[in-house]
Amino acid sequence: MMTEQGRVLSALLQGAFICQVTDEEAWRFLKSRDNAAQLEPHLALLNRTLSTTAEGDVFFASFLTIGENERKVLTQQFQDTASNLVPLVEWLLLVQQANESDMPITMGSAIRLNELQTTIEDTPAYAEQLEKISRYRMFGSTSVNLDGQLKQVFKRLTEMGYLIKPNPDKQIYLGTGKIEHLYEMLRFIDETEALSLSEQAEAAISQGSLI
Amino acid sequence: MSQVLIQAGTKLLNALGRHSDLIMQAYINGSVKERDHSPKVLEQLVQLGVLWRPEAQSELRLKSAVRTLLEGSLQDERNRTINANIGASLASLKTLTEHYKEALHYNKYNEAAAHMGDLTEHVYQLSESLSNSVRVMFGRINNEFGYVSSVDAKIRENELAQGQVTDLLAQLECFRFDELSELAGSNRELRHLLVVSLQQRFARAAQELSVVQARLLDLLGRFREFQGRTRLLKGFLLHMEQQPDFAPGNYANLTNVPVLFNQSDAIIANAAPDVNNVEHEADYQNIVASLTHVHKRQTKHEDTKPVDIDVTEQSTLSLEKDPLQQAVEAYFCEVIDSGQPKTALDYFEEQALDFDPEVWIYQVIGGYQALNDEDKQFFALESHGNNDKVYTGNFYINDITLGLR
Repeated sequence: MMTEQGRVLSALLQGAFICQVTDEEAWRFLKSRDNAAQLEPHLALLNRTLSTTAEGDVFFASFLTIGENERKVLTQQFQDTASNLVPLVEWLLLVQQANESDMPITMGSAIRLNELQTTIEDTPAYAEQLEKISRYRMFGSTSVNLDGQLKQVFKRLTEMGYLIKPNPDKQIYLGTGKIEHLYEMLRFIDETEALSLSEQAEAAISQGSLI
Repeated sequence: MSQVLIQAGTKLLNALGRHSDLIMQAYINGSVKERDHSPKVLEQLVQLGVLWRPEAQSELRLKSAVRTLLEGSLQDERNRTINANIGASLASLKTLTEHYKEALHYNKYNEAAAHMGDLTEHVYQLSESLSNSVRVMFGRINNEFGYVSSVDAKIRENELAQGQVTDLLAQLECFRFDELSELAGSNRELRHLLVVSLQQRFARAAQELSVVQARLLDLLGRFREFQGRTRLLKGFLLHMEQQPDFAPGNYANLTNVPVLFNQSDAIIANAAPDVNNVEHEADYQNIVASLTHVHKRQTKHEDTKPVDIDVTEQSTLSLEKDPLQQAVEAYFCEVIDSGQPKTALDYFEEQALDFDPEVWIYQVIGGYQALNDEDKQFFALESHGNNDKVYTGNFYINDITLGLR
């Protein structure tokens, strides 16, 4: 039997993002400052440290010191992330629009696949958008029908940790802390590259050429 | 007088009951479709003050009193009006109290009782309208303004609600309990109504409203956050449309990698089973038993060409026996042939065998034991030897005699 500490440690070392949705027990464990401090020496031994994102609600392991090898890993990771940004953002907007609630997908948002599918099927513009999204290398769908495309997109997102399916028998997905991490990254890029994305969007909305 | 009032009231309520379909439709749709109903019925309802025509050309609508009754009883979330006119209610309370005190002063007890009844009604009405306002507020917060869909609309609704809360709080400040208490004087009933009852209601309303205000601000923050996120996403796509070759700088190459982009890779791989660990044996067995696909290594079948089968006689295989065993067999035969018992060592010397005598004796004993039970019955084996001098139970065999039974 492994202790909770061991379980959380191994989850972190597997590169998992721990949030309230994916693993509530581990999340509670890490929320306690004492427990987190107890983990640090174990992580430090492997040149890792506990990091948080989304205002301390999502935990993951990061490198303690960055040498040649670590930099290589991070660069690779970053390139993956950067190339996945557009598909992910397009998907987020598609789901948000198709949900008809105008609420962005965040940690804990529930997505009912059946309802989403009905809406997308009924709206040719959404169906086209979905087809475009599913063709990205990140999702890699070759399916010609909408059902297959949607399933493939959700399957990939679940594999990558952006969504989880709490009940294997039901087609309901929940957004995880990794989605929060995605927003944080977008915000960071926005600030660092001085893109002023919000202003661009606002200008576009006021011009009436809403995407 | 009261009989007439009761009759009129019953008539009104009966009319409401009879035309409940019409009224509910008017409540939901906002107006009555005059074509669907007989003019007589409509005329009657207008006379009873249930329906009215705001302008000559417009359709018939429900009177606001009926609408308020329905909204209140059905706890309809569309109900957004809040009666914030506490100042006026307080003024009427004061007036009624003066009436009551005057009547008491002139010993007009009947009048005083009537005024008291009125006053009680007003106080409870004020309490009810306060708690109703708070309830309406909470109802809207609890479903996060679910009756409008877009985030922008929710933000507007939230601002409206905040304005109403501010108004309510400002109105609550009209309560001057020192004045009320002075007004009530030493009259027990008045004190109970004006001071105790109202004060309790006031305290609770003020407390709940402050909670409402905090929650509203909270929600507004969340809506703004949602709005910010949507803008971020849309802005990013727009930007990518305008500059398709945009790529963010390689933050992993910075001296200080931002925490966001510093995610360590997975280093734990699955452990391998240790088949020598006895404790896990049962688990392993379960695992193996529950395997659904066992991949057996299959040697590839060569393309089956017809092969000639050789049917010549197989060479005979002869099993060479150990010389020691042969010697033992010969010894047994000798005993059978002669019919005389003979010791193993005697035979050993006669034949001048070149094995170790001890091995020889062992082999003889082994040979005897190896016989099956039937054959064993023909032979008798007797061992010669002596006990150990110190340890009883140890018996040294020097020689054995084999004979026929």
